[in-house]
Amino acid sequence: MFDSLSQFGAAFGTFMTPSVLVNVFWAMFVGIVIGALPGLTATMGVALMTTLTFSMPHTEAIMVLVCVYVGAIYGGSRSAILLNIPGTPASACSTLDGFPLARQGMAGRAMGISTSGSWLGTLFGTLCVATMTPLLSEMALSFQSYEFFWISVLGVVIAGSLAGGDALKGYIAGFLGLLVATVGQEPHYNFQRFAYGNTDIAGGIGLLPALVGVFGVAEVLLAMRAPAYQAVYSKIDSIIPRIADVTKYWRTIFRSGAIGTFIGILPGLGEDAAAWSSYAAAKRASKEKEKFGKGSVEGLMAAETGEASSVPGAIIPVMTLALPGSAPAAVLMAAMMIHGLNPGPMLMVETPQFFYQIVAMLVIADMVKLFFGFVLVRPLLWVLLVPRERLMPIVFVLCAVGAFSITSRVFDIYIMLIFGLIGFILRELKFPMAPLILGLVLGDLLEKNLTRGFVISGGDPTPFLTRPVSAVLAAITILSILWSIPAAQTAMRRGTRALFRRKPATG
Amino acid sequence: MSSPDPLLPHEQPLRPRTDLLTGAFFALFGLTILYLAWRMPTYADQKGEIYTAPGLVPAFYGTVIALLALWLVGRSIRRGALQPDGGGGVPPAREGYSNVRLALSAALGLFFVFVLLGHMPFWASSALFIFLFITLFEWRSEQTWPQRLRPLAIAAAIGLGTGIAVTLVFERIFYVRLP
Repeated sequence: MFDSLSQFGAAFGTFMTPSVLVNVFWAMFVGIVIGALPGLTATMGVALMTTLTFSMPHTEAIMVLVCVYVGAIYGGSRSAILLNIPGTPASACSTLDGFPLARQGMAGRAMGISTSGSWLGTLFGTLCVATMTPLLSEMALSFQSYEFFWISVLGVVIAGSLAGGDALKGYIAGFLGLLVATVGQEPHYNFQRFAYGNTDIAGGIGLLPALVGVFGVAEVLLAMRAPAYQAVYSKIDSIIPRIADVTKYWRTIFRSGAIGTFIGILPGLGEDAAAWSSYAAAKRASKEKEKFGKGSVEGLMAAETGEASSVPGAIIPVMTLALPGSAPAAVLMAAMMIHGLNPGPMLMVETPQFFYQIVAMLVIADMVKLFFGFVLVRPLLWVLLVPRERLMPIVFVLCAVGAFSITSRVFDIYIMLIFGLIGFILRELKFPMAPLILGLVLGDLLEKNLTRGFVISGGDPTPFLTRPVSAVLAAITILSILWSIPAAQTAMRRGTRALFRRKPATG
Repeated sequence: MSSPDPLLPHEQPLRPRTDLLTGAFFALFGLTILYLAWRMPTYADQKGEIYTAPGLVPAFYGTVIALLALWLVGRSIRRGALQPDGGGGVPPAREGYSNVRLALSAALGLFFVFVLLGHMPFWASSALFIFLFITLFEWRSEQTWPQRLRPLAIAAAIGLGTGIAVTLVFERIFYVRLP
């Protein structure tokens, strides 16, 4: 107990230097601005900022990225409240009650609710990181290749079926991501797959250029094609959060925090699913259901708490299973790998201090977010007034820098362009992007564990299905796929009802 | 409660015919991957096992993509993709969406990557790209030249400011190599 506390103390001490604190403040500012600007997402922000962190020590680099992630998810609510346009997909739910509150002349109060809900949500999620990560990590240490293979498959399948939109297209996107990850030299014979003598392709498709393309270039194209956003609500009342708003809705805050963290842990679902689920649960339990959608304080509080708590939640499986809980967490995981960390169960064994540091990072990021929540009201209004014609070329330049800098190859800029185009077309065809990203990130892990499992078992596939945890994971994967087929879902519902229905008394 | 429309304009459902064509493309793509994976060496002469063959995993993914795509084809046909109107009539025009703006953005992006980058210092190429981008998108034919001076100056200032700031921040402060 005291050992853990001293470890936490030491972790906080790591970040209490002027240079780190300067990084924390600018990263949080950048994160909030990225989140607030419609068209720029948290995933894109973390991917772009990864470039800036190459030369930093790994703790400082991940601190910067955590700040950008936490800040971007929070920043999205500003444009949701003031413009009725979600800054990030995660804050779409906040428009439902945030904008009506602003229209009623309570934009400041809405931002105060957003700040307090988001602050408490991240704090709740961080508490879950501190308590659940060691337990999950210890459990994951008993996993072998068979279990990790299924975890990777399950990640792609759950992201495909639950990430929103068409599950079938989600699966296709997920397997496309997995396929892209196979390009380049394979691990056993160094055979160059799909390279055809091209040495650049033989080196594989860089994760960061692909991510920057899918989330950066595609966003630029989508934003430039869409109509311009207008009318910022500039009449702001007091933004100081009211204690009464927090104490009155403490049950909603706890419920949304728990839901958000849980959804964050599930692979690939992300902050938007957390916000919508928290909002729906709050509405069901509320005594003021009729106010939801018309400027409900409780609704906005639920959405903000839910999305903010899912950020730490999404980091839990990264640290324990090497399985990202959301698209930004997938990029964060890639950044951890770039910085020489080994996400997954071995993280707690090889770099146990990093676990304490992550908790410290989240707490510090949350505190700085609270600070900016008070001071960044007017400057954010000016930022929201910047026309996209002036913003998007800057984003494009940053995308090119981000794609190039990791290996200094011009080829990576071409990869960025190609993936930007692919991302744009797939989005136009209603393919969700989270499964594609999860496939890209998990592809290597999946293939290595599949072949390693076969090598260990001498080619026998049965351990993939007969080991207890493997069997459970396989069953969940299959059930998830079946659940997304309407006919199978109906049959499963009927079967479950029949199973639990009591037989009528005879005689 | 007035139930808000959860769909943004770009999230309106697609016509089944579009799904049919998408499914057909991915089915063909999956089968092509399967064929290419089949042609990869198995290293059997080096006592390689089938489960370590380089083509095994891509072949599996290709097969799954082809099967899922065929499922998409079947579903779109059930939803009326083969009917004369494609199963959903003519999709409504999206108000405010512009393919001209899209094409211009894409063309400028390509111009930046293939023409400007590498042929001049990074600060200059990014400044020129940003200046061109802003100027072309904010160009109003009805404006007179004196009226255009201010927007042109703003575009130049943003371009130069960004080019110099990115170079300083990335190269000098964070030691990141620029293209």
